[in-house]
Amino acid sequence: MAALTWSNITQVLAKQGILIAFALFMFGFALANARFLDIDNVLGVVRSSAILGVMALGVTFVVISGNLDLSVGSMMSFSTIVVLDLHDKIGPALAIPAMFALTLCLGALIGFLVGYLRLNSLIVTLGMLSAIHGLTLTWSGGKNMDIADKQGTWFGIFGQDEMLGVPVPILVFVLLAVVLSVLLARTPFGRKVYAVGGNGTAATFSGIPRARIVFCTYLISAFCVACAGLLQASRSLGSQNTVGQGLELEVLAAVILGGASLLGGSGTVFKTVIGVLILGFIQNGLLLVGLEFYVQYVVTWVIIILAVWLDVAAKRGRLWSPIA
Amino acid sequence: MNTTLKAALVATTALAASATGVLAEAHGKMKIGITQNNVGVDSYQTTYEKAFIEAANANENVEAVVLDAGGDVARQIAQVEDLIQQQVDAIIIWPTNGEAVIPAVRKAQKAGIPVIVTNSNIAEEGFDFVASFSGPDNITQGARAAEIMCDKFKDMGIADSAQIVQISGQPGYTTAIERAKGFEDRLPEVCPDVKLVETQPGDWNREKSQKVMEAFLVKYDKIDGVYAGDDNMGVGALNAAKAAGRDGIIFVGATNFAVGYEAMEAGDYWGSIYQSPVDDAKAALQTAIDVLDKKDVPFLNYFDTPKITQDNMDQFTKPVF
Repeated sequence: MAALTWSNITQVLAKQGILIAFALFMFGFALANARFLDIDNVLGVVRSSAILGVMALGVTFVVISGNLDLSVGSMMSFSTIVVLDLHDKIGPALAIPAMFALTLCLGALIGFLVGYLRLNSLIVTLGMLSAIHGLTLTWSGGKNMDIADKQGTWFGIFGQDEMLGVPVPILVFVLLAVVLSVLLARTPFGRKVYAVGGNGTAATFSGIPRARIVFCTYLISAFCVACAGLLQASRSLGSQNTVGQGLELEVLAAVILGGASLLGGSGTVFKTVIGVLILGFIQNGLLLVGLEFYVQYVVTWVIIILAVWLDVAAKRGRLWSPIA
Repeated sequence: MNTTLKAALVATTALAASATGVLAEAHGKMKIGITQNNVGVDSYQTTYEKAFIEAANANENVEAVVLDAGGDVARQIAQVEDLIQQQVDAIIIWPTNGEAVIPAVRKAQKAGIPVIVTNSNIAEEGFDFVASFSGPDNITQGARAAEIMCDKFKDMGIADSAQIVQISGQPGYTTAIERAKGFEDRLPEVCPDVKLVETQPGDWNREKSQKVMEAFLVKYDKIDGVYAGDDNMGVGALNAAKAAGRDGIIFVGATNFAVGYEAMEAGDYWGSIYQSPVDDAKAALQTAIDVLDKKDVPFLNYFDTPKITQDNMDQFTKPVF
């Protein structure tokens, strides 16, 4: 216990600057509206953040390996529309695996283009953002997709039910976070993901199959998107074609807010989860405070910048650090 | 009442059709070009296009050139120029952007081709170049939603104490602003004691609206009614209330979607405004024909968007979008 000295504490805190920021905001919002910390509200926010969160888990792998994935938003729309459409055509038990297979195909295509043809991931996934959107619209004919018999299906369990008093989307989010966290931090595969993103050349000389690792990160991302699509579809049993539109930037913001470097090589699953929660609670907190909504856009930005600043300031040990 | 209206409508259309028949014999078919905003992006626009093509095909005096800008302003401007080149008799435009298309509209008008704006109007500085606007009146829609809400509260006997929230469309969109204004102006006139406690945007998005409603439910113990800028958002709010186990809230939306209609059938959702993309498309085509026939067409040629509630919904067919 002697280890609990001042320098140790600051060392620990320096690594967790984002946690400090998170705690500060929670405290601030709780002061502004006492109901902010109601268990119902907290569970509600985590539940609605779970969909974004599940997507962010997958993108964390892609970003750590030094690439980007801007296609996750429209890919999520695709998964949602496809599973809802197939639900009425072939039944939920077949629709779910079929949707996963189709979404993984999209992930494999991106992984192939980025990993094996070594195309720039920004261009590939930006292109896929609109290509997949087109695919979704073609599939649905532009119509909203709704399950015909909303009362008679068990499909709603993933999005609407609770287990042990906890909403299922939260359980899925936590379970995936734990599994992916172990995969990233405790397995050879995880170490290779860091190596590819940290120093690709060194990774090659160490005999790491870079292409395969990159390919796998996109498969993981697509798998997470499919899970998110399932949660989304199950939650509302119907969807617009644009349900995931714009989420790619929120996902990326959460991952970067969690401290993953856009250049690759750093980041953890746990910190991404914190990033997701910060975004979710900001949105909810501002609603509870009841700010004029045009102002909310600005305040959201201010809070994100504050969080990033607190994070880097804690790492560097000083608030003021001009580019030298 | 509704059937007589329909009959009258059929009669006038028939009359108009025979009149245009005479005209068409005089100088051939009318060539009408349309450039739409973004077909396929939502089911309203998809249904609109289908209905427009059907209506044009059904009218033997009309030859239609149907184009879609895919949401791209530059492409829409190019399409207007193409239509001018093709020397169509009239151009119908569903603006991708109320400001940016004005020069193209002006060009068409200079070339002697009347321009009809459909669905959402262009900015006011372009009005001089437009023959007529055909579309829904969003302010009236908002006002009617306020009346639906108020009437229901009066029936329930809570018109003197009810407290409501509003979930509006995407900030900055004319439709969103006008519907909110219509609602907010009309409500105190009909139900002065109903209190609108807060408005937040749901961005036309069901999921976003559900989140907003969740926050409202935490924040306010008493919510008697929700007005949503369209049914998609209204159903999102309804889902939030259901999940939180808050019963007895009166939901009123606008642009009755199939999901809203179903929720009304299920008794969860009180009412909405019936706006049919089929009527929208037919009205646009008819306005163009009337302009070409040199009829007296009002500049703001609104088509009717009636109130729909659980009480009268059997008079309306379920929306296909």
